[in-house]
Amino acid sequence: MRLKTGRTGVVFSAIIATAVVIACVRRPVTQPSPEPLELLVLLPDPDHDGSTVGRVTVSNRAGSVELSGAWQATRMGFNRPPKAVETMDKADVERMFGEVLAGLPPAPLHFTLYFRFESDELTPESQAMTTEILRVVRARPYPDVIVVGHTDTMGSAASNYVLGLRRAMIIRNLLAADGLDSSAVEIRSHGEGDPLIRTPDETYEPRNRRVEIDIQ
Amino acid sequence: MQGTSTMPIAWRCAGMLVCVLSIANPAFSQPPPAGRIKNVVGTASILRGGEVIPAQAGFVVYEADKLKTGLDGHLALTLKDDTRLSLDPNTELGLVRFSYAPADGRLALVLKVVRGVVAYVSGRIAKLSPGATRLETPDAIVGIRGTHLVIRVGT
Repeated sequence: MRLKTGRTGVVFSAIIATAVVIACVRRPVTQPSPEPLELLVLLPDPDHDGSTVGRVTVSNRAGSVELSGAWQATRMGFNRPPKAVETMDKADVERMFGEVLAGLPPAPLHFTLYFRFESDELTPESQAMTTEILRVVRARPYPDVIVVGHTDTMGSAASNYVLGLRRAMIIRNLLAADGLDSSAVEIRSHGEGDPLIRTPDETYEPRNRRVEIDIQ
Repeated sequence: MQGTSTMPIAWRCAGMLVCVLSIANPAFSQPPPAGRIKNVVGTASILRGGEVIPAQAGFVVYEADKLKTGLDGHLALTLKDDTRLSLDPNTELGLVRFSYAPADGRLALVLKVVRGVVAYVSGRIAKLSPGATRLETPDAIVGIRGTHLVIRVGT
């Protein structure tokens, strides 16, 4: 009996010793860092008054969380589920990420110019706006301008495609005359297919005779 | 009133000519640029195919490019759909997928943050097609719906 207990004791000791050795050997390998290595912070949309916030879903094999409020954050790593959503201090976010946020390129600006009926001639009001557009383009480092021409539904779809392209070309020529390299301007036509105001076919609609200009 | 009848013949011919040239010119068959680098501070590079190209402001970027900043590098770029990105030093970002053809409904943006810190402001792809924008990290996948965010991978 006594002998048996002693043997059991030895076996137990051996098991514990082995476990300790394994733990010691493995610890440096499996010990996690105090915090997961990835961090995502959701910020208010910069192009509005700060009241609009987007939404993101962060997922991995172990789980997922959804962020929908300003300064909400989650941490990910080690194949564990993304951590519960926390709300960070705005000042902390600015301290950690102020530089990278300040480094974002200027927000793209959008203009719409209108044309006379069946023509690539700008309306007087839109003609007056071209000065401002050229000023904005000149002020940007390495600008890109994307010009999409549109028409109303008078005439055939094919001829309106060409008219939309001519309207876009007029803007490209205007920018080129001001010294902008043509490789920085992309022109497209959506013809009558992408109206601002939805109308039946063969409808006279001045608000659809336009170009949309995206200045990046 | 017939719209086409009032359009000068010369303009119609010019339009057709543009269409024909677009198809015939080999330059048009190259993949379109995905965006342009707007600013570089310090060292940064573009990895394209097997090539390493020193990045400079004004350079265009393409789908499948990888952007890397050095220990002193900052880089900022705008994609064709108005998406804006900013990279801190020691960052690697892959433009895994960029497809922006709203007229055909082909919209996709997949970015991979391999390491470092990236600030992101969504563009038209995220607005036009919720679910078409994805950000990948070594540990997670981030589905984005119209958003401004910052992400850090590693220290």
